[in-house]
Amino acid sequence: MGSLYSDHPTWLHGVPAGVKLAFLALLGTGVFYTHALAVLLASTACCVLIFASLGRATLRAKPLLMGLVLASVLIGLFHLYMQQPWVGAVSVLRLLCTALMGMALTLTTRYNDLLRVLEWLLAPLRVLGVQPERLSMQVALMLRFTEHFFVVWRRLDDAHRLRTGKAGGFKILAPLTLHMLMAARRVADTLHVRYRR
Amino acid sequence: MALVSLFAALIAVFGLIPKIDLPLGVPITLQTLGVMLAGCLLGPKRALQALMLFLAAVAIGLPLLSGGRGGVGVFFSPASGYLIGWPVGAWVTGMVMHLLPRATPRGAAISAFLASAVGGLLVVHVFGVVGLVNIANLSWEQAIMGTLVFVPGDLIKCVLCATVVHTVARGLPDWRLGG
Repeated sequence: MGSLYSDHPTWLHGVPAGVKLAFLALLGTGVFYTHALAVLLASTACCVLIFASLGRATLRAKPLLMGLVLASVLIGLFHLYMQQPWVGAVSVLRLLCTALMGMALTLTTRYNDLLRVLEWLLAPLRVLGVQPERLSMQVALMLRFTEHFFVVWRRLDDAHRLRTGKAGGFKILAPLTLHMLMAARRVADTLHVRYRR
Repeated sequence: MALVSLFAALIAVFGLIPKIDLPLGVPITLQTLGVMLAGCLLGPKRALQALMLFLAAVAIGLPLLSGGRGGVGVFFSPASGYLIGWPVGAWVTGMVMHLLPRATPRGAAISAFLASAVGGLLVVHVFGVVGLVNIANLSWEQAIMGTLVFVPGDLIKCVLCATVVHTVARGLPDWRLGG
Protein backbone atom coordinates (compact mmCIF):
# COMPACT_ATOMS: atom_id res chain seq x y z
CA MET A 1 0.00 0.00 0.00
CA GLY A 2 1.52 3.33 -1.09
CA SER A 3 1.62 6.40 1.14
CA LEU A 4 0.42 9.84 0.04
CA TYR A 5 4.07 11.00 -0.04
CA SER A 6 5.13 12.64 -3.30
CA ASP A 7 8.55 11.82 -4.79
CA HIS A 8 8.54 15.07 -6.78
CA PRO A 9 11.23 17.12 -4.97
CA THR A 10 10.22 20.44 -3.35
CA TRP A 11 11.86 22.85 -0.92
CA LEU A 12 9.70 21.44 1.91
CA HIS A 13 11.18 17.95 1.46
CA GLY A 14 14.43 19.23 2.98
CA VAL A 15 12.82 20.50 6.19
CA PRO A 16 13.06 17.92 9.04
CA ALA A 17 9.81 16.06 9.87
CA GLY A 18 9.91 17.18 13.53
CA VAL A 19 10.12 20.86 12.53
CA LYS A 20 7.16 20.49 10.14
CA LEU A 21 5.09 18.70 12.80
CA ALA A 22 5.93 21.35 15.41
CA PHE A 23 4.95 24.12 12.95
CA LEU A 24 1.66 22.35 12.23
CA ALA A 25 0.92 21.93 15.95
CA LEU A 26 1.64 25.64 16.58
CA LEU A 27 -0.40 26.75 13.57
CA GLY A 28 -3.32 24.50 14.53
CA THR A 29 -3.34 25.87 18.08
CA GLY A 30 -2.93 29.46 16.89
CA VAL A 31 -5.78 29.50 14.38
CA PHE A 32 -8.16 27.85 16.85
CA TYR A 33 -7.42 30.52 19.48
CA THR A 34 -7.90 33.53 17.23
CA HIS A 35 -11.23 34.90 15.98
CA ALA A 36 -9.70 37.87 14.13
CA LEU A 37 -10.73 37.58 10.49
CA ALA A 38 -7.72 39.61 9.29
CA VAL A 39 -5.27 37.26 11.04
CA LEU A 40 -7.06 34.19 9.68
CA LEU A 41 -7.14 35.65 6.16
CA ALA A 42 -3.40 36.40 6.30
CA SER A 43 -2.65 32.90 7.68
CA THR A 44 -4.75 31.24 5.00
CA ALA A 45 -3.10 33.29 2.26
CA CYS A 46 0.33 32.18 3.56
CA CYS A 47 -0.81 28.53 3.75
CA VAL A 48 -2.21 28.67 0.19
CA LEU A 49 1.07 30.17 -1.05
CA ILE A 50 3.15 27.52 0.75
CA PHE A 51 0.94 24.75 -0.64
CA ALA A 52 1.00 26.22 -4.16
CA SER A 53 4.81 26.52 -3.98
CA LEU A 54 4.98 22.70 -3.87
CA GLY A 55 3.98 22.67 -7.55
CA ARG A 56 3.55 19.25 -9.16
CA ALA A 57 3.89 17.48 -5.81
CA THR A 58 0.37 18.64 -4.95
CA LEU A 59 -1.15 16.60 -7.81
CA ARG A 60 -1.11 13.53 -5.56
CA ALA A 61 -3.38 15.33 -3.10
CA LYS A 62 -6.01 16.21 -5.71
CA PRO A 63 -8.75 13.93 -4.28
CA LEU A 64 -8.01 15.20 -0.75
CA LEU A 65 -8.10 18.79 -2.03
CA MET A 66 -11.48 18.19 -3.68
CA GLY A 67 -12.82 16.83 -0.38
CA LEU A 68 -11.46 19.88 1.46
CA VAL A 69 -13.05 22.28 -1.04
CA LEU A 70 -16.37 20.41 -0.78
CA ALA A 71 -16.33 20.50 3.04
CA SER A 72 -15.41 24.22 3.01
CA VAL A 73 -18.21 25.08 0.55
CA LEU A 74 -20.77 23.08 2.56
CA ILE A 75 -19.76 24.68 5.86
CA GLY A 76 -19.75 28.15 4.27
CA LEU A 77 -23.18 27.66 2.66
CA PHE A 78 -24.61 26.26 5.88
CA HIS A 79 -23.52 29.30 7.89
CA LEU A 80 -24.74 31.65 5.15
CA TYR A 81 -28.12 29.92 5.31
CA MET A 82 -28.09 30.34 9.10
CA GLN A 83 -27.26 34.07 8.55
CA GLN A 84 -23.88 33.75 10.29
CA PRO A 85 -21.47 34.67 7.47
CA TRP A 86 -18.72 35.78 9.87
CA VAL A 87 -18.79 32.46 11.75
CA GLY A 88 -18.78 30.64 8.38
CA ALA A 89 -15.76 32.61 7.16
CA VAL A 90 -13.80 31.93 10.39
CA SER A 91 -14.60 28.18 10.22
CA VAL A 92 -13.68 27.84 6.55
CA LEU A 93 -10.42 29.80 6.95
CA ARG A 94 -9.36 27.71 9.96
CA LEU A 95 -10.17 24.51 8.08
CA LEU A 96 -8.26 25.60 4.95
CA CYS A 97 -5.25 26.72 6.97
CA THR A 98 -4.78 23.55 8.99
CA ALA A 99 -5.87 21.02 6.35
CA LEU A 100 -3.60 22.53 3.65
CA MET A 101 -0.58 22.46 5.96
CA GLY A 102 -1.47 18.90 7.03
CA MET A 103 -1.53 17.88 3.37
CA ALA A 104 1.76 19.70 2.71
CA LEU A 105 3.34 17.75 5.58
CA THR A 106 2.00 14.44 4.29
CA LEU A 107 3.09 15.11 0.70
CA THR A 108 6.64 16.08 1.62
CA THR A 109 7.51 13.73 4.49
CA ARG A 110 8.33 10.02 4.17
CA TYR A 111 6.27 7.90 6.56
CA ASN A 112 9.43 6.41 8.04
CA ASP A 113 10.54 9.91 9.09
CA LEU A 114 7.14 10.62 10.67
CA LEU A 115 7.27 7.22 12.37
CA ARG A 116 10.65 8.11 13.89
CA VAL A 117 9.17 11.39 15.23
CA LEU A 118 6.19 9.49 16.66
CA GLU A 119 8.53 6.98 18.34
CA TRP A 120 10.53 9.88 19.78
CA LEU A 121 7.34 11.52 21.06
CA LEU A 122 6.21 8.24 22.63
CA ALA A 123 9.60 7.59 24.26
CA PRO A 124 8.64 9.23 27.62
CA LEU A 125 5.79 6.69 27.88
CA ARG A 126 8.39 3.93 28.22
CA VAL A 127 8.08 4.32 32.01
CA LEU A 128 4.42 3.24 31.63
CA GLY A 129 5.40 0.09 29.75
CA VAL A 130 4.84 1.45 26.22
CA GLN A 131 7.46 0.20 23.74
CA PRO A 132 7.71 2.83 20.97
CA GLU A 133 9.99 0.64 18.82
CA ARG A 134 7.07 -1.77 18.39
CA LEU A 135 5.16 0.90 16.49
CA SER A 136 7.08 0.45 13.23
CA MET A 137 6.71 -3.33 13.36
CA GLN A 138 2.99 -3.02 14.05
CA VAL A 139 2.51 -0.59 11.16
CA ALA A 140 4.41 -2.99 8.86
CA LEU A 141 2.27 -5.95 10.03
CA MET A 142 -0.88 -3.91 9.58
CA LEU A 143 0.00 -2.91 6.01
CA ARG A 144 0.92 -6.48 5.09
CA PHE A 145 -2.41 -7.75 6.41
CA THR A 146 -4.51 -4.97 4.89
CA GLU A 147 -3.54 -6.29 1.46
CA HIS A 148 -3.99 -9.90 2.59
CA PHE A 149 -7.49 -9.32 4.01
CA PHE A 150 -8.54 -7.39 0.94
CA VAL A 151 -7.57 -10.40 -1.19
CA VAL A 152 -9.51 -12.69 1.21
CA TRP A 153 -12.52 -10.34 0.97
CA ARG A 154 -12.38 -10.53 -2.84
CA ARG A 155 -12.09 -14.35 -2.77
CA LEU A 156 -15.07 -14.68 -0.40
CA ASP A 157 -17.05 -12.28 -2.58
CA ASP A 158 -16.20 -14.25 -5.74
CA ALA A 159 -17.18 -17.52 -4.05
CA HIS A 160 -20.50 -16.02 -2.91
CA ARG A 161 -21.11 -14.65 -6.39
CA LEU A 162 -20.49 -18.09 -7.93
CA ARG A 163 -22.90 -19.74 -5.50
CA THR A 164 -25.71 -17.19 -5.59
CA GLY A 165 -25.09 -14.93 -8.59
CA LYS A 166 -25.09 -11.88 -6.28
CA ALA A 167 -22.36 -9.85 -4.56
CA GLY A 168 -21.51 -10.98 -1.02
CA GLY A 169 -21.93 -7.58 0.64
CA PHE A 170 -22.41 -7.75 4.40
CA LYS A 171 -22.98 -11.52 4.28
CA ILE A 172 -19.23 -12.18 3.95
CA LEU A 173 -18.41 -9.96 6.93
CA ALA A 174 -18.66 -12.79 9.49
CA PRO A 175 -16.53 -15.31 7.51
CA LEU A 176 -13.95 -12.56 6.89
CA THR A 177 -13.77 -11.79 10.62
CA LEU A 178 -13.44 -15.50 11.49
CA HIS A 179 -10.66 -15.84 8.93
CA MET A 180 -8.94 -12.78 10.39
CA LEU A 181 -9.15 -14.04 13.98
CA MET A 182 -7.70 -17.44 13.00
CA ALA A 183 -4.91 -15.73 11.05
CA ALA A 184 -4.25 -13.51 14.09
CA ARG A 185 -3.80 -16.60 16.28
CA ARG A 186 -1.30 -18.13 13.86
CA VAL A 187 0.66 -14.88 13.56
CA ALA A 188 0.60 -14.37 17.35
CA ASP A 189 2.00 -17.89 17.87
CA THR A 190 4.73 -17.30 15.29
CA LEU A 191 5.70 -13.95 16.83
CA HIS A 192 5.72 -15.48 20.28
CA VAL A 193 8.05 -18.27 19.18
CA ARG A 194 10.27 -15.89 17.17
CA TYR A 195 10.43 -12.84 19.45
CA ARG A 196 8.97 -14.03 22.79
CA ARG A 197 6.29 -11.26 22.71
CA MET B 1 0.60 -7.43 19.24
CA ALA B 2 -0.54 -9.52 16.25
CA LEU B 3 -4.20 -9.09 17.14
CA VAL B 4 -3.82 -5.34 17.46
CA SER B 5 -2.10 -5.05 14.06
CA LEU B 6 -4.48 -7.42 12.32
CA PHE B 7 -7.54 -5.66 13.66
CA ALA B 8 -6.14 -2.31 12.55
CA ALA B 9 -5.72 -3.97 9.12
CA LEU B 10 -9.35 -5.12 9.15
CA ILE B 11 -10.49 -1.54 9.85
CA ALA B 12 -8.35 -0.42 6.91
CA VAL B 13 -10.01 -3.06 4.68
CA PHE B 14 -13.42 -1.71 5.69
CA GLY B 15 -12.17 1.65 4.40
CA LEU B 16 -11.71 0.18 0.90
CA ILE B 17 -15.49 -0.11 0.65
CA PRO B 18 -16.79 3.12 -0.96
CA LYS B 19 -18.02 5.87 1.41
CA ILE B 20 -21.16 8.01 1.12
CA ASP B 21 -20.66 11.77 1.64
CA LEU B 22 -23.28 13.65 3.63
CA PRO B 23 -23.73 17.42 4.06
CA LEU B 24 -21.28 19.10 6.53
CA GLY B 25 -18.41 17.16 4.92
CA VAL B 26 -18.77 14.05 7.13
CA PRO B 27 -18.80 10.67 5.30
CA ILE B 28 -20.73 7.47 6.20
CA THR B 29 -18.23 4.59 6.23
CA LEU B 30 -18.09 0.96 7.29
CA GLN B 31 -15.04 1.73 9.41
CA THR B 32 -17.16 2.53 12.48
CA LEU B 33 -18.23 -1.12 12.34
CA GLY B 34 -14.54 -1.92 12.82
CA VAL B 35 -14.56 0.23 15.97
CA MET B 36 -17.51 -1.76 17.35
CA LEU B 37 -16.02 -5.14 16.38
CA ALA B 38 -12.65 -4.25 17.90
CA GLY B 39 -14.27 -3.51 21.26
CA CYS B 40 -16.45 -6.63 21.23
CA LEU B 41 -13.80 -9.08 20.02
CA LEU B 42 -10.57 -7.72 21.51
CA GLY B 43 -11.62 -6.17 24.81
CA PRO B 44 -11.03 -2.59 25.94
CA LYS B 45 -7.22 -2.44 26.12
CA ARG B 46 -6.38 -4.11 22.81
CA ALA B 47 -9.26 -2.38 21.01
CA LEU B 48 -7.89 0.97 22.16
CA GLN B 49 -4.39 -0.03 20.95
CA ALA B 50 -5.74 -1.22 17.57
CA LEU B 51 -7.54 2.08 16.96
CA MET B 52 -4.55 4.14 18.16
CA LEU B 53 -2.32 2.18 15.77
CA PHE B 54 -4.77 2.71 12.92
CA LEU B 55 -4.95 6.47 13.56
CA ALA B 56 -1.15 6.68 13.92
CA ALA B 57 -0.85 5.03 10.49
CA VAL B 58 -3.37 7.54 9.08
CA ALA B 59 -1.45 10.43 10.68
CA ILE B 60 1.83 9.40 9.05
CA GLY B 61 0.17 9.68 5.65
CA LEU B 62 -1.13 6.23 4.77
CA PRO B 63 -4.39 6.49 2.80
CA LEU B 64 -6.31 4.12 5.07
CA LEU B 65 -9.50 6.08 5.67
CA SER B 66 -12.40 5.42 3.32
CA GLY B 67 -12.02 7.19 -0.01
CA GLY B 68 -8.21 6.92 0.27
CA ARG B 69 -7.96 9.77 2.78
CA GLY B 70 -5.00 10.04 5.12
CA GLY B 71 -2.40 12.39 6.57
CA VAL B 72 -2.43 14.87 9.43
CA GLY B 73 -4.90 17.11 7.55
CA VAL B 74 -7.84 14.77 8.25
CA PHE B 75 -7.47 15.54 11.96
CA PHE B 76 -8.43 19.15 11.22
CA SER B 77 -11.49 18.30 9.11
CA PRO B 78 -15.11 18.53 10.36
CA ALA B 79 -15.07 14.73 10.83
CA SER B 80 -12.02 14.81 13.11
CA GLY B 81 -14.15 14.58 16.27
CA TYR B 82 -15.44 11.23 15.08
CA LEU B 83 -11.89 10.01 14.33
CA ILE B 84 -10.64 11.03 17.78
CA GLY B 85 -13.73 9.36 19.26
CA TRP B 86 -12.92 6.00 17.62
CA PRO B 87 -10.27 4.80 20.15
CA VAL B 88 -12.40 5.95 23.10
CA GLY B 89 -15.51 4.38 21.55
CA ALA B 90 -13.67 1.08 21.01
CA TRP B 91 -12.44 1.15 24.62
CA VAL B 92 -15.96 1.83 25.98
CA THR B 93 -17.43 -0.90 23.71
CA GLY B 94 -14.86 -3.34 25.09
CA MET B 95 -15.57 -2.31 28.69
CA VAL B 96 -19.35 -2.69 28.29
CA MET B 97 -18.90 -6.03 26.47
CA HIS B 98 -16.60 -7.19 29.27
CA LEU B 99 -19.24 -6.36 31.89
CA LEU B 100 -22.22 -7.92 30.10
CA PRO B 101 -23.00 -11.68 29.95
CA ARG B 102 -21.45 -13.47 26.97
CA ALA B 103 -21.56 -17.16 27.89
CA THR B 104 -23.88 -18.22 25.05
CA PRO B 105 -23.74 -17.07 21.40
CA ARG B 106 -27.17 -15.45 21.74
CA GLY B 107 -26.23 -13.68 24.97
CA ALA B 108 -22.95 -12.53 23.41
CA ALA B 109 -24.82 -11.14 20.38
CA ILE B 110 -27.25 -9.16 22.57
CA SER B 111 -24.35 -7.88 24.69
CA ALA B 112 -22.45 -6.94 21.52
CA PHE B 113 -25.44 -4.95 20.25
CA LEU B 114 -25.72 -3.04 23.53
CA ALA B 115 -21.95 -2.53 23.85
CA SER B 116 -21.61 -1.22 20.28
CA ALA B 117 -24.64 1.06 20.74
CA VAL B 118 -23.02 2.61 23.81
CA GLY B 119 -19.37 2.71 22.67
CA GLY B 120 -19.45 2.68 18.87
CA LEU B 121 -22.52 4.87 18.52
CA LEU B 122 -23.09 7.08 21.59
CA VAL B 123 -19.47 7.79 22.56
CA VAL B 124 -18.27 8.29 18.96
CA HIS B 125 -21.17 10.66 18.26
CA VAL B 126 -20.46 12.68 21.42
CA PHE B 127 -16.90 13.22 20.17
CA GLY B 128 -18.23 13.91 16.66
CA VAL B 129 -20.59 16.58 17.96
CA VAL B 130 -17.76 18.24 19.92
CA GLY B 131 -15.70 18.23 16.69
CA LEU B 132 -18.52 19.75 14.64
CA VAL B 133 -19.03 22.47 17.28
CA ASN B 134 -15.33 23.34 17.40
CA ILE B 135 -14.29 22.94 13.76
CA ALA B 136 -17.44 23.64 11.74
CA ASN B 137 -18.51 26.24 14.37
CA LEU B 138 -22.02 24.83 14.62
CA SER B 139 -24.18 25.38 17.69
CA TRP B 140 -24.73 22.32 19.93
CA GLU B 141 -28.30 21.93 18.65
CA GLN B 142 -27.21 22.12 15.00
CA ALA B 143 -24.38 19.65 15.57
CA ILE B 144 -26.67 17.19 17.35
CA MET B 145 -29.23 17.47 14.54
CA GLY B 146 -26.40 16.95 12.02
CA THR B 147 -25.09 13.83 13.74
CA LEU B 148 -28.56 12.30 14.05
CA VAL B 149 -28.44 11.65 10.28
CA PHE B 150 -25.88 8.90 10.97
CA VAL B 151 -27.76 7.17 13.77
CA PRO B 152 -30.00 4.87 11.64
CA GLY B 153 -26.95 3.68 9.66
CA ASP B 154 -24.98 3.16 12.86
CA LEU B 155 -27.83 1.16 14.40
CA ILE B 156 -27.63 -1.16 11.37
CA LYS B 157 -23.89 -1.46 12.04
CA CYS B 158 -24.68 -2.43 15.67
CA VAL B 159 -26.92 -5.23 14.34
CA LEU B 160 -24.14 -6.32 11.93
CA CYS B 161 -21.65 -6.30 14.79
CA ALA B 162 -23.99 -8.47 16.89
CA THR B 163 -24.37 -10.89 13.95
CA VAL B 164 -20.60 -11.18 13.51
CA VAL B 165 -20.10 -11.69 17.26
CA HIS B 166 -22.78 -14.41 17.19
CA THR B 167 -20.93 -16.18 14.35
CA VAL B 168 -17.59 -15.86 16.14
CA ALA B 169 -19.11 -17.21 19.38
CA ARG B 170 -20.34 -20.25 17.47
CA GLY B 171 -17.36 -20.71 15.14
CA LEU B 172 -14.60 -20.04 17.71
CA PRO B 173 -16.15 -20.99 21.08
CA ASP B 174 -12.82 -20.56 22.91
CA TRP B 175 -12.42 -16.95 21.74
CA ARG B 176 -12.52 -14.58 24.74
CA LEU B 177 -15.12 -12.04 23.67
CA GLY B 178 -14.67 -8.67 25.35
CA GLY B 179 -11.07 -9.53 26.29
